[in-house]
Amino acid sequence: MIVQALRISVALGLLLAPCVASAQQLDNSQIMSTLGQVKSAAPAVDVALLVEEANANVGKGVAALPNWSKLSELSQLIVEIDFENNSTAIEPKSYRTVGLIADALHHPDLFRYKFLIVGHSSATGTAKHNLELSQKRADAINEALSTTFAVSPDRLFSVGAGEEWPIDPGHPESADNRRVQLINLGLLK
Amino acid sequence: MMTKRVGISAGTALACFLTLTAVGRADTISYADAVTTLAKECGSDIKKFCNGQNLGNGRIQACLGKNASKVSPSCTSTLGSVMTSIAQRQEAQASVFKVCQHDISQYCNGVKGDGNILSCLVETKRVDNRECNQAITDAGWR
Repeated sequence: MIVQALRISVALGLLLAPCVASAQQLDNSQIMSTLGQVKSAAPAVDVALLVEEANANVGKGVAALPNWSKLSELSQLIVEIDFENNSTAIEPKSYRTVGLIADALHHPDLFRYKFLIVGHSSATGTAKHNLELSQKRADAINEALSTTFAVSPDRLFSVGAGEEWPIDPGHPESADNRRVQLINLGLLK
Repeated sequence: MMTKRVGISAGTALACFLTLTAVGRADTISYADAVTTLAKECGSDIKKFCNGQNLGNGRIQACLGKNASKVSPSCTSTLGSVMTSIAQRQEAQASVFKVCQHDISQYCNGVKGDGNILSCLVETKRVDNRECNQAITDAGWR
């Protein structure tokens, strides 16, 4: 499993110096080298089945489900994108992170790949509501990438995991569990 | 040393923006830098007038436009230059295959796949077509 976390401290550091070419290139190369490592044996993932499995197992976790478990074998990046409370609106302070992803997805090295955006939430509120909200938030990022930043829509998929796959299972209500995962689904056919 | 370099880069990017606004043409900036500037100059107006609205499908642009009389002047001008830069970068990315057709056939003959062709083109040092070079730069690939 190849996971690299772009922590909020990094994002905040970049915000303080928004036009710094060197820092931004470093970041883009981080994103690209992380997401570009595709193994030839990587499993194929059916996004419709992910949605089906998550909806049929609300409150029971998704990590061990047949299709969800395949995701851990794919190249992925964890980013923090903040949303307005109980809303799908991306906070302006997180626009940069969405822009960085857009820059990376437009780079020739990642041009041939399709990507899955996975929305996650902490365990505050009901599991069903969290699942629905995280799906809508992943959809909102998908929409921003495919419209504002012209990433071809056939390269983008989105799914919500709600509170079902915490990064910190010991603290399900922790803010760390609110995150977005970007996963390389392999070559665009 | 690092601090000095950072200062110069930021100043250059700002100069790019000012030039972009004044004459309508300059090298493009990255999507990340474009929306960082948007968030910096328009973040508080977005929170005030566009609560619950998203970046996708031109909604923030439309909302700020609808509230133009109340939005800060620096936000309004930033919005214009950011949207211009994003559009220019998109046009450049979409146009590279056409604009660089000759260089692709000359230097990347036999390379298969759009991504590989673009990588070959970007890595080719001998591209001497000015328009092609400009398109690669505007696309953000060099």
